[in-house]
Amino acid sequence: MNLTIILAVTLVLAAASFFITRYNKMSGGFTTVLSSLFALVALFMMRGSIGEDFSIFYFNFSITTVGWYFSVVMLIAYSMTSFFNPFWMEKMMYPGSYNFLYLLSMAGTIGMFFAKDFITLFIFWETVVWSSTFIIQLGKSRKASYIYYVVSAIGSMGTLFAIMLAYSVSGTFVISEAFAGLSGGVAIAVFFTFILSGLAKIGIFPFHVWLPEAHGSAPHTFSPVLSGGLVKMGAFIAFLSVTAFPAYDIFADMFKIMGKPFPIYFLMFLGAISIIVGTLMAIKQEDAKRLLAYSSVANGGYILIGILMMDQVGFAGGMMHLINHAVASAAAFLAIAAVAYRTGTTKMSEMGGMIHRMPVTYLVYLIAIISMAGIPPMGGFVSKWLIFQGLAKDGMLFLAAAAFFGSIGSFMYVFRPLSAVFLGQTFTRDLKKKEVGFFMMFPMIILTLLSLLTGVFPNIFLRVIAEIQTSVGIDPITLANRTILTSNGYLDAFRVFIVFGFGFAIAFVLFVVRRKSRKVELMDTFTSAEFIHTRELLHYSSKFYAPFERLYDKAPDTLTAYKKLAVKVGELGGMVESLFYGHKPEKTVFWMMAVGIIVILIGGVV
Amino acid sequence: MIRLASLILILIGLYGVFSTRNVIKILVGVNIMELGVNIFIISIGFVNGGLAPILTSGSFSSALNFVDPLAQAIVLTSIVIGLGITTLGLVFARKIHVNYGTYDLSKIGGGSDD
Amino acid sequence: MINPVFMIAIPLGLAFISLIFKKASKWILVAGVTINVVMLFLLEWGSVAMGGFRIPYGIQLMLSSYSFTGLAVVNIMFFVILLISFDKVEKNSVVLLTALAGMNGMILTMDLFNLFVFMEITAISAYILSMKGKKPEHSFNYLVLGSIGGVIFLLGTIIFYAQTGTLNMAIISSPVQQSAFDFSSATLFIPFFLIFAGMAVEAKLIPFGGWVKGVYGNADRLTGPLFSSVYAAAILFAMGRVFGELFVLNETIVIIVVITGLITFAFGEAAAFRQTKMRRILLFSSIGQSGLAVIMLALGFYFPAVLLIVNNALSKFIMFTITGKLQESYGTENYKELKGAFYKNKMTGVAFSIAALSMAGLPLFFGFYAKLNVLTALFGGGNWFIPAVILIFAIVEGAYFIRLLISLWAPGKEGEYADAKHAVETRKLFKPISVAIIFMLSLVILAAGLFPDFAGKTITSGAKAPFTMSQLKGGE
Repeated sequence: MNLTIILAVTLVLAAASFFITRYNKMSGGFTTVLSSLFALVALFMMRGSIGEDFSIFYFNFSITTVGWYFSVVMLIAYSMTSFFNPFWMEKMMYPGSYNFLYLLSMAGTIGMFFAKDFITLFIFWETVVWSSTFIIQLGKSRKASYIYYVVSAIGSMGTLFAIMLAYSVSGTFVISEAFAGLSGGVAIAVFFTFILSGLAKIGIFPFHVWLPEAHGSAPHTFSPVLSGGLVKMGAFIAFLSVTAFPAYDIFADMFKIMGKPFPIYFLMFLGAISIIVGTLMAIKQEDAKRLLAYSSVANGGYILIGILMMDQVGFAGGMMHLINHAVASAAAFLAIAAVAYRTGTTKMSEMGGMIHRMPVTYLVYLIAIISMAGIPPMGGFVSKWLIFQGLAKDGMLFLAAAAFFGSIGSFMYVFRPLSAVFLGQTFTRDLKKKEVGFFMMFPMIILTLLSLLTGVFPNIFLRVIAEIQTSVGIDPITLANRTILTSNGYLDAFRVFIVFGFGFAIAFVLFVVRRKSRKVELMDTFTSAEFIHTRELLHYSSKFYAPFERLYDKAPDTLTAYKKLAVKVGELGGMVESLFYGHKPEKTVFWMMAVGIIVILIGGVV
Repeated sequence: MIRLASLILILIGLYGVFSTRNVIKILVGVNIMELGVNIFIISIGFVNGGLAPILTSGSFSSALNFVDPLAQAIVLTSIVIGLGITTLGLVFARKIHVNYGTYDLSKIGGGSDD
Repeated sequence: MINPVFMIAIPLGLAFISLIFKKASKWILVAGVTINVVMLFLLEWGSVAMGGFRIPYGIQLMLSSYSFTGLAVVNIMFFVILLISFDKVEKNSVVLLTALAGMNGMILTMDLFNLFVFMEITAISAYILSMKGKKPEHSFNYLVLGSIGGVIFLLGTIIFYAQTGTLNMAIISSPVQQSAFDFSSATLFIPFFLIFAGMAVEAKLIPFGGWVKGVYGNADRLTGPLFSSVYAAAILFAMGRVFGELFVLNETIVIIVVITGLITFAFGEAAAFRQTKMRRILLFSSIGQSGLAVIMLALGFYFPAVLLIVNNALSKFIMFTITGKLQESYGTENYKELKGAFYKNKMTGVAFSIAALSMAGLPLFFGFYAKLNVLTALFGGGNWFIPAVILIFAIVEGAYFIRLLISLWAPGKEGEYADAKHAVETRKLFKPISVAIIFMLSLVILAAGLFPDFAGKTITSGAKAPFTMSQLKGGE
């Protein structure tokens, strides 16, 4: 079976890349490029095998449309990012292990999406978790790696509990049958524990704490994979929780809010909170990667809301946002990585005016953030539009308000790195920097073109999503030629693009024809005879949104809650140590006597 | 009756271990416990009016007239084990004294206990 | 076909011989252990009546698949530990041989008093070995608590004897004998509890095992793995036998044991979480694992329990050995002071990581297969509370192991990439041959994780019920 070959080749190349890196670091990096491209192409061609079931060893696989869709999205993120790997080998403490773990985690994601039974899924899922943990630690923060693992573990243990609980009722681990026969309290317990790993992985409040740490501090060549790829694993669990579960049927008799059963609405509410929290926190950030990480939190909220809606339009929007966000986020992170490659920093206050030195990177970043903010003609607009349509149709006021707020807020925060890093004045240090090489530009350009493609011709992707919708029993989204039809109106993305293109053309002509502005150096400014020394304070993006930020400056930090919990566990341990352990026998003898008396009394009574 | 006494002995021994800080006294407590158990074992094996479990020419009547030999065998083994443990315990106690200069456990810091 | 009693007799005999030939004692030790390992595969299975006495009157040894697995773990791990840390044996050959004999005896015997004797033999050798840690107060504590445990165990055994008239564990579970002896299962609660309490001291359960922190915390490269892998396996296999034969008769004792095991697991993992010294982390993890295995054994889930014991034995051996070596080479066991220690010792580091990840129950490793079986068995029995507690504290367990691994692999200031310049200075750890052995054992963990069915079949033959009726020879 093709999947066997893909997995086998990936694993062999993973081991190979480890040894190759020992001899020549860049070749090791190139091996990852090769492996991921091979996997991408091979998986793409597996479209024809949809519907097949097979087993390797004790793993059972089933090729489904949704699995195909997810894995292709994941591999786009992996393969495009891998192009940057060869150039980062020098920075890594363990380049060989990095390459090996990179490909191992990739294999894990491939296997996961096609799993037929939950044990297979869980094994591949956890493999991704621990292999990515050991990659993140190579980056800027060891604590980030630890936080990543702990939040992930909370999710994984929840899901494992749910799988086992469902097994005890249904007697099977096969995904399509495992949730049969659930009802009442057990069903609620299974539902909420199952989706824990999904929530933790996507980064939904309150599990979002690991994203800014991990995405922000991971090696620059892995953050795009984390943000563009691995959070989508969580979306897959969310998908399963409404389709395989099947939540709407099981909870059909439950208390409903806005037409959605309470458990589902609660999760959508959490998604909305994530949008708000992610947006607000992103606006505050000084570091470009942390900012993009919080944006991933917000976008994760959109995806979750979309998928949980399970209807014609909203669901399609959520699924489409998967690929839009993956592409845009990967492109944005890669652009920042490219800048970091040349300047050595991702702190926005230390950069500026890179547009003059790295115009292509600028363009990549620009298009990526346009997509993330949901502005036409990029793909993000289409998916967000679909989600808005779905929310509005069901009359879900709060969620729709959160979604709109997220969109507006996203414009605020995506613009900031753009102006801080690329626009404005170039630092003296960076005046001689060059654009990155073609090898690094290539994936960024591909991702940009993909962003455009999803925006201009969204129906290509929506047709696949329609197939997915049919396969899970919802009405597929209505598509006609180049138009998307919904109950509230229709969208012809191509026409929107034409209009934009028209406007762009006019603006461009005006720009060329009119007089150029005069370049003035940053420090050449009117100061009423005061002396100015610090470039940083005059930097365009310094304290950019200060008035807005002051509104929520004092908001509590979720990470502190986790730290306090950890302290409590430690205190429990300390209590145990002091109560039971020491070097004097009397402590233990006391406990023996106490236990003996209690037990014999109880035992005697019973 | 004897059984009750031996159980009380065991409890006294246990209390002894619990209540003192002196290493030698703790060992004494352990010894009392072992003594108590040994007495208990013997008392279990006792049969009223029974003969010693040794074959003699005149007492082939019924096997049930003998005191239980198994209990006695157990006690012998237990006494020897107790001997070994007490000896080893004294060696450790001596080592404590050599290292720290005292037999009092509370005067010894627990090493590098947190 | 060799009589299983030789597994006990040969090490014991060689122990006495090495008293006489002091110069050759280390080699006699090696010979004894090697002979035992080889004999393992040549043993005659089934029940052995010592001295030819019919079963209820004599002591019975049972080599079933269950005890065979126990013997395999104990003897093979003993052999490997000896290979790696041979230089640490010093003058302790006699004690080590006696310990081996005692542990084999614990696993093989079906007689309660015999079990007591072997437990005491094993314990005394443990007290002596713990003195290598140069902390006599901890060894003394161990001795006192162990003896009290022994006394309580003996008391329980004798009360049991008084109530039922026999010391043989198997006879009681036989339905024929239950009608012959007049006892009610309810009155058996007290002797059962005393027997459990006596064994719980050695099995490190909370609150009985107060000696563990001092003894394991000062264990060196030989005694650390010995205690945590071999001794732990021996006592747990013996407990399994006692649970399986006797405790099934009384429901209350099972509840008590399960509660003790659950508290031990939860508290052990919590205590491990706050430690910064590696031996302390490992010892509390061992305590936790012991609690978990006890729960499984008490509930009658032998296969998951054996998987846990084997996984623990392999992983703790690797981790204690490496920790002992780190302590020797760097003078510290605090992982915060050992940052990046694996940078130049990658194979050692990989072996350690495999062991740690297996303990954390992550897939691709054997520990995951064990965890899966534990959960399936528990949920299959309709139990959800115990698995919930287990999974919650599994998060804690994973957290501290990953934290440990991150510190040992990737040094660096926060805010900068991991960089070797922050690593501790490179010091020589193991000789290549030792690295190879340790690494190969970690590969066993990996292989068992990747091909669990094969591993499972090898062990399944070891985890059927502790005895089968047809294997009993003789008896009334």
